[in-house]
Amino acid sequence: MRSKFEIFFILLTIIVTLLFFVVIGSMFLIPTFEGFINALFSEKMVFAITLTLSTSLISAILAMLCCIPMAYTLSRYQFPFKRLFKIVIDLPMAFPEIVIGIALLMFLGSNGIGFHLDNLGIELVFNSLGIIIAQFFVALPYAVRTLYSTFNYIDSRYEFVSRSLGYSEVSTFFNVTLPMAKNGLFATGIITLARCIGTFASVLFVGGGILMKTETLAVSMYLNLSTGDIDMAITAGILLVIISFITIAVMEKYAKENHL
Amino acid sequence: MYLEIKNLSVKLGEFHLKDINLKINEGEYVVLIGPTGSGKSVLLETIIGFYSSEEGIIKLNGNIINEIPPEDRGIGIVYQGNVLFPNMDVYENIAYGAKKKFSDEEIDEKIKKIAKKMKIEHIINRDINTLSGGEAQRTSLARTLIVEPKIILMDEPFSALDISTQEKLTSMIKVIVKEYKTTVLHVTHNFNDIWNLAEKVGVMKDGEIHQLDSVSEVFSKPKNNFVADFVGVKNIFEGCFIEKDLEKMIVQLKNGSIITSSDIGCLNRNEINLKEAENVLMAIRPENIIFSNEKFESSAKNQLKGKITEILESGPTILVSVDIDGVIFKGLLTKSSKEYLELKENKDVYISFKSLNVKILDSYNSVEH
Repeated sequence: MRSKFEIFFILLTIIVTLLFFVVIGSMFLIPTFEGFINALFSEKMVFAITLTLSTSLISAILAMLCCIPMAYTLSRYQFPFKRLFKIVIDLPMAFPEIVIGIALLMFLGSNGIGFHLDNLGIELVFNSLGIIIAQFFVALPYAVRTLYSTFNYIDSRYEFVSRSLGYSEVSTFFNVTLPMAKNGLFATGIITLARCIGTFASVLFVGGGILMKTETLAVSMYLNLSTGDIDMAITAGILLVIISFITIAVMEKYAKENHL
Repeated sequence: MYLEIKNLSVKLGEFHLKDINLKINEGEYVVLIGPTGSGKSVLLETIIGFYSSEEGIIKLNGNIINEIPPEDRGIGIVYQGNVLFPNMDVYENIAYGAKKKFSDEEIDEKIKKIAKKMKIEHIINRDINTLSGGEAQRTSLARTLIVEPKIILMDEPFSALDISTQEKLTSMIKVIVKEYKTTVLHVTHNFNDIWNLAEKVGVMKDGEIHQLDSVSEVFSKPKNNFVADFVGVKNIFEGCFIEKDLEKMIVQLKNGSIITSSDIGCLNRNEINLKEAENVLMAIRPENIIFSNEKFESSAKNQLKGKITEILESGPTILVSVDIDGVIFKGLLTKSSKEYLELKENKDVYISFKSLNVKILDSYNSVEH
């Protein structure tokens, strides 16, 4: 016999999830099949898919490489102004993504260090590199926050025991801490990759949204919507949903098989 | 001296370990007790090298180890609860530290030997998540012992276990520690660990070791009122010194009662500079108080009459509080004794105790009671 409390919670979960399903699913009904296929195999769309996946993968890997030592540092070590550092890292999660986009553009553009880098022949904006930087900055705070909770959850006594058994700090980190953090690392990987794929405003600002150069799926959706090409816009949207769904499904399957 | 700590001070945020001095001989089993938050675990983790000291030195086997990283100190640690690596099975956990010292063949041989001793042969390939608390602790101990540490630090290793498992593990440790001739510093809240394992006892409070002595010394001759209270001396009284000779000391309590003490050690050592009318602090263990319904002739020099105010059952024993003109004395007796004497609240009784059992506390002013 289910309690009223249990029934209420289950019903609420089902209704809200169905609402999500209907809203997302309705997008699949908009384009005609022919229009969808044409848009999907168009040169522009293939380019957007390739660019989105390649830049997202690189930025997600970079974010993971940075977030592991950063999250561990914030979790384990004490240093001056640690709380301030934590706030600064978390800050981009609190304000709109567009703010990071503008800030990055100012910093990397000709008004910032871009002026000096231009002289060295290095361009950081309005190209793929700019997209990777934008995705990295958007995804990193989420990655650090998720992994920070994981490291906090791992009792430091495991590390103490490992040290007492003759293992250095580095060996302990790789032999004990990281294996114990595998669930958190896995979850962080999913969140980071999904965040990179879905990054829009900052990518638009730093990448410039240039046709066949910096047009990721999210940017393509926006640009095509503004020019009235609904089939292209909705197809890009559908692809984003499908890629995200596959990413999460594959990760879930991997997690289940490996008991993560 | 095997482990020697001199004037060690450690600061961790608000907490401060102050001027710790500790000496442990090779092969000695020392138990450290004290209230929660007294700094026992911090002391262990400083000895092993996880916290840096502000001042003082830690010497192990004649070498100063303050600057040596934990992995090179050769000190093992066993914690409370299951601190086995979850990404390894029982065998891999035990082999983890051994890999640093021995070949695979040696490890295999050593693991077989220690598993037999620790009675964990049947679980050697098990996932650590399937172990009982006792099995996990035996595995932890095996993992520590196999690397042959110079000293083992134990931080409440049995406190998460049921009483029966605690008893079995205690007996096992007693045998194994002797066999491996291991030096142990063991932090606990359980007094049974002291009776069963300790050769020396240290009592800590607020980051300081108040007394470090043999078990009998700490329990029969606590150094100050905190130690006395902590080790279960229920009767700690302040009195006014009246006179002394070579055999005894006479003290008058605030209620006028006269107490005789033959704390010869204190009198001979002359550790307390007693002057007439100076206040002194006395301690009487509750198990040394004898109850009777009538005054009787005995060797006990102290005999007082009072009224029972409270009778508290505590397992097989009973703690009886007696009001002697405003001063409460507490005595322990068995249930059968209580029934035989027909003790009940508000009943008048006599309590008596030998002058030999009235201990004079050395450091009267060192801690607030």
